[in-house]
Formats: sequence, structure tokens, C-alpha cells
Amino acid sequence: MNFEIIDISGDIGLRAYGSSLREAFINVGLGMYSLITNIEKIQCKQNIIVALSSESVESLLVNYLNELIFHFDAYGFIGCMIEIAEFSDKKINVKICGDYFDPDIHSRGLLIKAATYHNLKIDKEGDLFTTEVIFDI
Amino acid sequence: MGLEKIRRIDENRLEVPVDYKAGMRTKGIIYLNRHLEEELEVQSVEQVANVATLPGIVGASLAMPDIHTGYGFSIGGVAGFDIKEGIISPGGVGYDINCGVSLLRSKLTKKELTNSIKDLVMTLYTEIPSGVGSKGKIRLTSEDLKKVLRNGARWAVSEGYGTPADLERIESVGCLDGADPNLISQKAYERGRSQQATLGSGNHFLEIQYVDEIYDEKVANILGLYQDQITVMIHTGSRGFGHQVCTDFIEVMEKASRKYAIDLPDKELSCAPFSSPEGQDYFSAMKAAANFAWANRLCIIHWTREAFQKALKVSPNQLGMGIIYDVAHNIAKIEEHIVNGIKMKLIVHRKGATRAFPPNHPELPEAYRSIGQPVLIPGDMGRASYVLIGTEKGMAETLGSTCHGAGRLMSRHQAIRLAKGRAIWREMEDKGIIVKSAGRETLAEEMSEAYKDISDVVEVVHNAGISTKVARLKPLGVIKG
Repeated sequence: MNFEIIDISGDIGLRAYGSSLREAFINVGLGMYSLITNIEKIQCKQNIIVALSSESVESLLVNYLNELIFHFDAYGFIGCMIEIAEFSDKKINVKICGDYFDPDIHSRGLLIKAATYHNLKIDKEGDLFTTEVIFDI
Repeated sequence: MGLEKIRRIDENRLEVPVDYKAGMRTKGIIYLNRHLEEELEVQSVEQVANVATLPGIVGASLAMPDIHTGYGFSIGGVAGFDIKEGIISPGGVGYDINCGVSLLRSKLTKKELTNSIKDLVMTLYTEIPSGVGSKGKIRLTSEDLKKVLRNGARWAVSEGYGTPADLERIESVGCLDGADPNLISQKAYERGRSQQATLGSGNHFLEIQYVDEIYDEKVANILGLYQDQITVMIHTGSRGFGHQVCTDFIEVMEKASRKYAIDLPDKELSCAPFSSPEGQDYFSAMKAAANFAWANRLCIIHWTREAFQKALKVSPNQLGMGIIYDVAHNIAKIEEHIVNGIKMKLIVHRKGATRAFPPNHPELPEAYRSIGQPVLIPGDMGRASYVLIGTEKGMAETLGSTCHGAGRLMSRHQAIRLAKGRAIWREMEDKGIIVKSAGRETLAEEMSEAYKDISDVVEVVHNAGISTKVARLKPLGVIKG
């Protein structure tokens, strides 16, 4: 997985890389899940589909992560594999495979409560795409 | 742009001049002494300046000594906006709407808990759901949840959690009228359904404390606080529900900012005129989330009382666990203030800041009219927390506001690195503090060294006179998410 933690004093952020923006989106999603628990212990048992459209690629990124946060916080669903079937700057269709969080089996990490626009970055340098997102926890 | 443009007004205040950045309508004032100024982040100053650019701001853009970088507003940010000309912004309230603090008194003393503190901590940990992936003991249908959103802490009392006497000791009597459940998204309902009456995670906690020092005997007496007395402090908010409301409305407000041609220096400052439909919708939804939080804290108070009875085998009367007060530190409210000699109605945003009304304010409960509003300031889990009281000076200078907590010094990863190879729970136990947490790294992230010393923060507001010290409380048992 291709992401790293952005260390800030109040909350936490992620910098994720990809050879395409699609791949960077996948990596930031998996990175976020791995802040919540050890996703190597999550089995691919169920799929959820997240379909979104937004006015900009920035809000698409924030909305996509907030959608994953919603499925975890409301239903306990946590993913270990992400596929993005449809991807454009304004539209996304994501299939996430994972399981329902069980505190008796899965480790408890950070409770991520929102993805923010704070210091949000989406960059391309050569063939490398980078996204930076700060989360409220 | 840097810190060199900032000017020191006096020992406790810094000014961010109106020419600090383009578009500022007023100056910024940061309550900070020289010692805490060493930790001041440039980005948080930038945020104080950004708030000063928002339409309809009245008086200065303020920040309390626990200032650090937030989203939109800095943490510790306070600003009032004219209700006719001004805006309302979710970034001035925060994601955890009505995150706040409750303080309970008791008839117990420190000595009486010596042998039972471990049992008590374990019982509280079992009885009060906390941590990642925990579910509340109360499952709410959408209809139930609507009642919570409309009635706040009153809903809790009607369900048998807490008593009518509790309500009087809660800011705004535990409910903001005018919350419209129809403005709440389905997603927020889904997140709220199983999270009512849960503590949460991160810096949220429940703490058994004792009164370690009293600074103001007269006020402490009226609050019912005395040396070595056991108190309980609860710090939590509106959980995933409030976060969803904030997330939903940042999108709404982003569009509204463009519609009303409000020039924004930061997307997290998205806002709308307070009087616009978008502004009013957010205000109403924010009230619903605030009410969710007040119900949450009162349910947890109820189970805290039950846990004490169970673990210590005593009656409610022997315990005497009444609420001293309950404050919100992430909220926007309509309040009357006198600015430059003129009485004005403002929409006051407090984001990581506590209301601190002076004596004789009509919003105070009868019992506290003569002393002013109690202010509850939690510190980190190893050091101390404070009870302060509101003052006339605070009302005049800071829209009746003061600090809300210590503020982090280290990132979570710095703290985890520093804690490597150490057993934080044992270090705490050696200091006489029993801790229990759900998260694998919560204790490392939340250790004392990761925070500023709360005493430094409280010194500033006390010396500036915007609220004054009443008592210091020290931890004996801590439950973390």
C-alpha cells in the first residue's frame, strides 16, 4: 500500500500516492481504513458500492472518504479491498470489499469522524499522483 | 506572512493587526502570555485573521490561550456576527457540535475511594460504551431520534435518564429550541441511531477526580465544592451524528458562499448570511446536533451514578451526585452583547471555547446568579482540570468567553514514538491514577506530555480576568475511548 501519515498536532492526515489518480484514491481509502484498524485482519466477505458525483475533483475526494467513514460509523463496515470501476474528475463508482467491525476480533485504532478540506492537495508530478487529506478524529 | 506583524498588547494579549492580511474587517486578539507564545503556530494566526474577513463580524476576531490550528476557525476561536448583516459558519462551530463538559459533585472524599477505585473504574468502563466500533445501549427509531433532536436533555429526563433538577444546571437547560429534525440527512440519522449515550474516542473521557486546591472559597461553597471531595468530569459531544451534520452542511455552505458572493480564504470557512435560508437551516440543524449532545451527556451521567451505586453499594442519596454544571465548547448561539456602548444581538461562534457569563446574567440558574457561570476546563489525563467562574470583564472583552482545555502539543505519532517501550497505564498507576482505555494506542496518544500544561492556559485567562479560578481537580480514575 502506498501511503504515509501526515503528522499534525490535533488530528491526523494521509498522503497517498498512485500511478494514476484512481490508484491514489484507492490508496487513500485503504490508508484511512488502516488508521481505524489492522486491515490485514479484515476478510473480504461483503461488498458495498459507493457511487458519487461532485462539482470538483477536490470535493469528489472529500465526499468519497466521508462516504467510507459513514459506512463505518453507521454500520461498522470496514474495507480491505477497493476497486474503482468508473473514475472521472467529477464522478466515481467504487466497490469496496470487507467485513463488519467486531471489537472482539479487530484492533481498535483511531475513530476517524470526517475528511476535511483543510490543506487538501491533489498533485501530479511526472507520472506520480499524490493526494493529501486531513481527518477530524 | 509571518508572526513578526503581531504586536503584544499586554502580558496576556497579542494583537493581529487589521493589515495582517488583505480583506480583514477588524483586528484579531489572541489571549496568550509570552511563555505560550513560543508554541503559537503561524497557521492558527492565519485562521484568526481569516475569521476577521468574514462579513458582519462585530468586535475583534478572538482566540483563547488554548489556540491551535483547526479547520476554518482556529481551535479556541470566538467571533460574534451581526444577526442581520453577518454570517454563520459550520467552521466556527466545529465537527463535534456541542462537544462539552459535565461536572458532577459527590458526598464522597478521596480517602473513601482508596480501596474501591479500581473496581469503580472497571464498572464505569463496562457500563458506559466507549471506543471505536462500540454501540450504545439505547437503540433509537427515527421517531425516537426526532424527539432527542427537538428536546435534548429533556428527552433523556423523560426516558428516566437524569432528573428535572439536573436540567437547571445545564447550559441552555440542555436544549436549544427551534431544532427542525426534517433538516437532518438520512445519513446523520443512521449514524445517530446507535451512538446516543456513548462516550466516543480520541480525547473524550470520563474522569473520577478529587478537589485538590480551592482558590475561591465563597464561589466553591455555592457550587458545593470542598477540599478532597470526589467529582466526576465527562467530556463528549454529539458523536458521529454531529459530524455528519457538519459534513453535510459544509457542502451546502460551500454553494451558499458562491451564491451570496462571499469571498473565502479557506473552504472550511464556508458560510452563509445568518438570515438566509441556508444560514437558518444550518442553525436549526446545529441545534438538533447540540440537543443530541446534551441528551448524550445526561444519559452518561445517569449510568455514571448507577455505576457508582453498584461498585460502592451505596444509595443515590449517600452519593449526592448532582450536576455542578454542563458547558458546550463547540457551538453558535444568539446572544445579546454590548459592543462599543451599543446593545446588539449577535450570533456568537465558540469553537473550542467556553461561554463564561458574569454574575446576574439572566441565562444563569437561580442558584448561581450571585457568582456567575461555572466554567469547566478539562486538562490532560495525568495533570489537572479546573473550575473557573465567568466575570464582567470577560463579558465586555471576549463576548463572555474563555478557554476550553489544554490543547495538544504533540501529534499522535510523536506521542506514540515517545511512549514506545513504556507502559503508560503503569506510569499513571504509580502516580495514583487508574486508567482504562479501549483503543490500542489511546493511552500513548493521550499521555500528559502530549498536551500543553492546562495550568499555563488557565493562568492566562485568570490573569487577563476573563474568568477566574475557583478550584483545581486532580484525576484518580480515567476512562478513555
